[in-house]
Amino acid sequence: MHKDHLIFALLLITAGSQALMPKAHAENAPRHIEVTAKRFGFEPAEITLKKGEPVDLVLRSTDVPHGLRFRELNVNVTVGKGGTSEIHFTPNLTGTFVGHCSVFCGSGHGSMALKLHVVD
Amino acid sequence: MDRIVYLTLAAALLPAIGCKANPPGPMETRIVSSAKHHFFVGNKKQKNPLAATPDTIADGKEAFSHYCVACHGMDGQNTGVPFAERMSPPVPSLTSRDAQDYTDGQLKWVIDYGIWPSGMPGAKGTLSDDEIWSIVVYLRHLPPAGSLGEPEMYSH
Repeated sequence: MHKDHLIFALLLITAGSQALMPKAHAENAPRHIEVTAKRFGFEPAEITLKKGEPVDLVLRSTDVPHGLRFRELNVNVTVGKGGTSEIHFTPNLTGTFVGHCSVFCGSGHGSMALKLHVVD
Repeated sequence: MDRIVYLTLAAALLPAIGCKANPPGPMETRIVSSAKHHFFVGNKKQKNPLAATPDTIADGKEAFSHYCVACHGMDGQNTGVPFAERMSPPVPSLTSRDAQDYTDGQLKWVIDYGIWPSGMPGAKGTLSDDEIWSIVVYLRHLPPAGSLGEPEMYSH
């Protein structure tokens, strides 16, 4: 009888931990964002993130080398011609930040902008 | 009123200047310089949002190397630019008092919109505001003349 209780308790603990594990993992998993850069713009051109939420940002170029920089957030990622790069960061400030292409890419380079909203 | 005086003087000088690219005389240089500093170049009061740090100076140098070096050289003092003295007006040294007397806001304005009818083109849209402000920081911390060599495009 005592042995049965022990097995039952172990089963409960195992089931409980299995039920909780995926949730905990989902809460801590970085948010995945994909941004495409091409002369002369970003797609999407506007994104919203949560302060303190880790982010995996993938930058993809469909033409020449590009970059994406948010000076205030100390974020800068560059990508080669037709390539893909990834950066992990956690926004620690709230507000609206404008990111620019950080690799000179031609006549419209200065007009490339991505608006990032960071909310609580 | 002052603006009318400057425009009248400019109109009077026009026939003398003609279309030939002669170097401007001392009086023309003084009049045009004063007019630029006091009337034509705007944005006098805007402050640079970027602090002068080693990082922002490096950023400015990087941005400068993409757009400005063809005429101003790597050092902002025309080193290695073969036509700098043949322009009318000649390409100024950016360490000169004429350039350094502009406020940060005015330097931003000049880079944004250029200066007509000199050869200085505007960079708005080609460079971002952030890059242009970093160039303004770099302009305040230019290296000694010749210390960075000549632009790569003139050495091939």
